[in-house]
Amino acid sequence: MAEEFNTEGMLDVYLYENEQLLEKLQETVLEQKDAECFDQDSINEIFRTMHTIKGSSGIMMFDNITAITHKLEDVFYYLRESHPEHVPHLKLVEHVLEVADFITEEMDKIRSGNTADGDPESIIKELDKFLDMIKNGAKEEGVELPPENVYEQPKQLYIAPVATDTSHFYKVYITFSPNTEMANIHAYKVVYAMKEIAEDLLYSPEDIISDEGSADVIMKEGFRILLQAQCTEEEIRNIIGIGYDIKQVDVYECKAEEFLQGFDFGGNVPQIDLGTDETVIEAGAEPESEQKEAEKPQMAPGDFVIKSKEPGKPKQLAKDKKNDKAAFISVNVSKMDQLMDLIGELVISESVVLQNPDLKVPGLNLANFNKAAAQLSTISTDLQNVIMSMRMVPLTTLFQKMNRIVFDVSRKLGKDIEFEMIGEHTEVDKNVIENISDPLMHLVRNAVDHGIETNEERAKSGKSGKGKITLSARTEAGKVWISVADNGKGLDREKILAKARSQGLLEEGKPDSAYTDKEVYQFITLPRFSTKEQVTEYSGRGVGMDVVVQNIQAIGGTLEIESTPGFGSTMSLKIPLTLAIIDGIVMKTGDSYFVVETGIIKSFVNVREEMMIHEPNGDEYIMIRGECYPVLRLGEWYGLSGYQRLVNEGMMLIFEVDGKTICLFVDKLIGKQEIVVKPIPSYIKKVKGLSGCTQLGDGSIALILDPVGLIE
Amino acid sequence: MDETSEVKKQEEQSRSVSHEHDTQKGKYMTFKSGNEYFGLKIQYVNQIIGFQTITEIPETEDYIKGLINLRGKIIPVIDVRLRFKQKPFEYNDRTCIIVIDVKSTMVGLIVEKIAEVVEIPEENILPPPSIGKADKSHNKYVYGIGKVGDSVKLLLDIDKLLNDDDMTVLEQVSGLEMEEGAV
Repeated sequence: MAEEFNTEGMLDVYLYENEQLLEKLQETVLEQKDAECFDQDSINEIFRTMHTIKGSSGIMMFDNITAITHKLEDVFYYLRESHPEHVPHLKLVEHVLEVADFITEEMDKIRSGNTADGDPESIIKELDKFLDMIKNGAKEEGVELPPENVYEQPKQLYIAPVATDTSHFYKVYITFSPNTEMANIHAYKVVYAMKEIAEDLLYSPEDIISDEGSADVIMKEGFRILLQAQCTEEEIRNIIGIGYDIKQVDVYECKAEEFLQGFDFGGNVPQIDLGTDETVIEAGAEPESEQKEAEKPQMAPGDFVIKSKEPGKPKQLAKDKKNDKAAFISVNVSKMDQLMDLIGELVISESVVLQNPDLKVPGLNLANFNKAAAQLSTISTDLQNVIMSMRMVPLTTLFQKMNRIVFDVSRKLGKDIEFEMIGEHTEVDKNVIENISDPLMHLVRNAVDHGIETNEERAKSGKSGKGKITLSARTEAGKVWISVADNGKGLDREKILAKARSQGLLEEGKPDSAYTDKEVYQFITLPRFSTKEQVTEYSGRGVGMDVVVQNIQAIGGTLEIESTPGFGSTMSLKIPLTLAIIDGIVMKTGDSYFVVETGIIKSFVNVREEMMIHEPNGDEYIMIRGECYPVLRLGEWYGLSGYQRLVNEGMMLIFEVDGKTICLFVDKLIGKQEIVVKPIPSYIKKVKGLSGCTQLGDGSIALILDPVGLIE
Repeated sequence: MDETSEVKKQEEQSRSVSHEHDTQKGKYMTFKSGNEYFGLKIQYVNQIIGFQTITEIPETEDYIKGLINLRGKIIPVIDVRLRFKQKPFEYNDRTCIIVIDVKSTMVGLIVEKIAEVVEIPEENILPPPSIGKADKSHNKYVYGIGKVGDSVKLLLDIDKLLNDDDMTVLEQVSGLEMEEGAV
């Protein structure tokens, strides 16, 4: 692709930045999808975004992306300049999203090391058609069309005069070496350099930037500058400098009147009296570095326009993008993890110092020490909070993605659906977001496809207004609730029951009415269960809800389904705020420490031997408050040494997972604690019932029990 | 020089080229286990720490002693003697753990006694003798025999030391679980 120069490091930045831009773009577009048209700010923003992506793609030589962004930029340029009416807004939204999708797809290819070979032709054609259409619409109304979007540059640097008595006036005449290419650009460089000292400045030929023909004129006649400044000739010469391209620089002072006359000295110049007050500097070799420095500005001439010569001309793009970005930096997650590890260690070493046995010597005056220690503890607690908050990101992006899905799917299905987001600023751990993205997408699609009726059905059932999908998030007791609610037809209890019967899921002899709504709705989360008669592009294959539930369970979450026939259904995900920290009960069996997540424990019971029921095959049960539960002795299960065998001495933990209740027998409870979850090193093979490990306050390691694994 | 050592040499070269510290080339960390001295390429050695409390993990091979906390990083430790199917030994204050870092997997090796760092030039490394078939099980971890003066160091193949053939599958499984799981 780009063999000439190394793009390795640039590629990451390119992908990252454009990804951010596209996300922002989609957000903007979707925010206004229901409006009449885009407002001025959004048009500018979309235009700018396209322009930025075009620029960077150009540098990276991804021609197809450059082409497509250029086209969309054209469209928005037109919108911005001539404010046409009757723009089919939804069509435009679709086009923008289409382009965004195309770029995203290409970037995915690039990221995975493939060539970005997508063909933008068809989209470009569509855009052309679209542009033509809105242009024609405008013509009919007699609106004057703006000039085509060519990359405009300022024609002439104009520096406002600041005349003072001490000013000197100079005529500068520059001759370029005969073989110089793009002499106009070199001339421009000189003008730019002079901007620093000039009080007033005029030059000829005037149009050195956009008119390439001016290069020939400069080569033929030289480049002339009229300069009003406070400096001496010597300084001017230094500023102009002599490069390989500049053959000769003549500077001579003139009077104010001559200056005001402008460039009518034309023919006089070659006849300068070399003897008097001008000097001829013969061009010599100049250090490369200076040359390069001077060349930089020409890349973005728009930056230093002091005043535009043509008032009607569009302003150059404001370069304000960078400003709001500067507040964020992206950090490698592994570094964050490392930081978290270290802070954890810091807390432990802190307690080792503060509770050091050496401090227990009687008669020590520790007043100052204690004060300092308290200060230290405050700081380390703050530090812990900060690092945790660094991992938290708002759900906004994820919700925006859902907005997009609702938009796409509802358009394709011809349903009129409103989308509402509530609490999208709720923050959750980055890992959680990654894990719920797919399940949530599925739920939203389901809601659009199955939940909301078609427009006709809605009319028939006398429902007023649009279909509506509400995506909401809130935190409650250390968990995040994310729910997808629709105001559609709701789940059909009878249909689900019928289907369940045909699949043999119902218990024999149990009447339908004996099933609670909750139980019935749970059926739809079973594999291969779909009541949808027709398989559509989006749903109905019966693969899905079970996967959703599996994914949610994998991160310790649950799915709750509520539904009111005729009024819609609500799917609520209850997920932990973070996967990195859980609230756990620490307990001890033998010499080992174990942790169980607090949430799943129903109760702790002290038991007596007579409550136990022993089966001949060794299985044990326990009778508690009239219920019989299977018992699992942790020490026996893992073959630990020195664990408590007498039930009277130990502790029973009752917990419920997947609708099953079991009792876990452990030696003793240590306490409740927030723990930082760490994976068991991958070198060690997976052990049934263990999901991770953690460090306790004293630096020792506890193993985290996964009750699901124990039940299996 | 025979074929095997030729291959070894190439391997050696490709490794040292990829490794930034050329000075580490040919240096070996040696330790005593049983009656033999063993050598590990020094570039794998991350650090050496004193013995600390090990948290046992149930249902693992006997040579995997458990987990230790290395400044917030939890790493597994294995007992080299048990790995070689030698008799277990009593741990004491002088027992050391060599922390090695292979392909970003960190593992602690419990060894009886750490000896020294020696430089063994290429020409002093011989392929392990393979006449006795009975000795095969022992030799599978040793890829070469290094001569240092009068003594001999058995040079360990770190990959084979860490990974049993039958373990790789299980390792992959647990690796996958880890990706799905927390952190």
